[in-house]
Amino acid sequence: MSNPFLLRQSRQDLVHGQLSSVAPATALGALNHRWALAAPGDFASDIDVLNYALTLEYLEAEFYRQGNSAGLLSGIEAQYLAQVGEDEQAHVTALTQTIQQLGGTPVEQPWVDFGDAFASRDSYLTTSVTFENVGVGAYLGAAGFIQDKTILAAAAGIFGVEARHAAVVAMLLGLPAEGGVYRGAFETPIEKAEVLAAVAPFLAPSQMAGGMPSGAPETGGGSTVSTDRSGLITAGSVAALAAAGVAAATVQRRRADRPAGVTESADVTGDGSSASV
Amino acid sequence: MRRKMFGGRPVVEFQTGLQRREFLRLAGIVGVGAGFVAGGVLSAPAAGAATVPGSRAAALAAIETSDLDILNYALTLEYLEADFYATGLQSGLLTDRELELVTPIGDHEQQHVDAVTAALTAFGGTPVAKPKITYPAGTFASRDSFLQTAAQFEELGVTAYHGKVPLIKDADVLAAAASIAGVESRHAAVIAALLQGDPFPAPVEKAASEEQVLAAVTPLIS
Repeated sequence: MSNPFLLRQSRQDLVHGQLSSVAPATALGALNHRWALAAPGDFASDIDVLNYALTLEYLEAEFYRQGNSAGLLSGIEAQYLAQVGEDEQAHVTALTQTIQQLGGTPVEQPWVDFGDAFASRDSYLTTSVTFENVGVGAYLGAAGFIQDKTILAAAAGIFGVEARHAAVVAMLLGLPAEGGVYRGAFETPIEKAEVLAAVAPFLAPSQMAGGMPSGAPETGGGSTVSTDRSGLITAGSVAALAAAGVAAATVQRRRADRPAGVTESADVTGDGSSASV
Repeated sequence: MRRKMFGGRPVVEFQTGLQRREFLRLAGIVGVGAGFVAGGVLSAPAAGAATVPGSRAAALAAIETSDLDILNYALTLEYLEADFYATGLQSGLLTDRELELVTPIGDHEQQHVDAVTAALTAFGGTPVAKPKITYPAGTFASRDSFLQTAAQFEELGVTAYHGKVPLIKDADVLAAAASIAGVESRHAAVIAALLQGDPFPAPVEKAASEEQVLAAVTPLIS
């Protein structure tokens, strides 16, 4: 996917071309989850991986910002999708802070165009499911490139939440349990090239015509930072800072109204007392 | 690149990562062509493992003891989950959509048991035996108690895996654990949604130490 022309063609075909009626969701859903060798040069550093993730999170955060503003949902669906959108924004914040603290330059927010995704509740949620599943696969596919264990743990933590999103939105859509809500007993990684092909249709024409801006996923970021591990202590404080951003988002969320019956059942890591089963 | 994940410690190395991966594929431990990515998953557990020549299987003992311990820790938790769902689903507490959504969870947990067992064996480890499990009275008395316990199990499983992610040394073990952890996250979210609870308790999954997890499950096992 190094040829911008191909990206443009892909977008035109899938979003504004003859196939527009099956546009964004299908563009993602058409992903072939086959196993394939990833190029060893896909990511030159942890910062490259983080910028790759940041690009995807930017896309997701903006997707939900627009989708949740479209007035397509109500009740529990609206509440769940609002939480999903907050999560994606928290991921953007955390990744940005982490990249900065590592001395890298965060990619800029890409220009996006989600086509017909917000035409209806069904198209919104369907695109959401495919978006989330691509996110899950992308994180898993990139995990092996992450060298710093602290960053790896943070990325894994985001990956798990994307899997939650995918499952719950699929539930809302009434998709079949296996093959819809779940994708088997093991998550499937997706290599970088396939992920980029999947999100290419959402990149706006101005971006394509003018060449890939710094925020585009094509290069994974242009970081000049080496993989020098001398910053291990720094990396630790980085993760702490990024975690603070996430924590702030969590606090903000918990102040907001939650669906009835919300529990803190997830607090098994608290004092341990709540973890007894 | 993946060599660095061994922390520079000496390991029995295959000539190339691809060679090792090829063996793992034959052993059914990782997916075909997982290659450089940490994409190896236990996608075909057990299948073919018995056909692997013993001499080559022994080479897989290259992973560190600490990774074997982590796999056995995971196996214990998966045993618990698999048994829990098998027991609960046999109790006939669920119907319709709930039954459809929870039945695959039980299947997944059993596949995790099988896959982790196969991996441990292939890596030269000794899989722990399934523990004797005793559930608190009333666990399977009602749909609510079943699902509420399931929610706790799933959140515990998620945090347990995430507690181990930064400690795993071998890239293939990491990939396998992560691919399982993501599925546990789906389970946790689905169960929470069925209970009208909170499927997204935090923007990033939490992590629990082994001590915290064992404190929670020890009362159940012997």
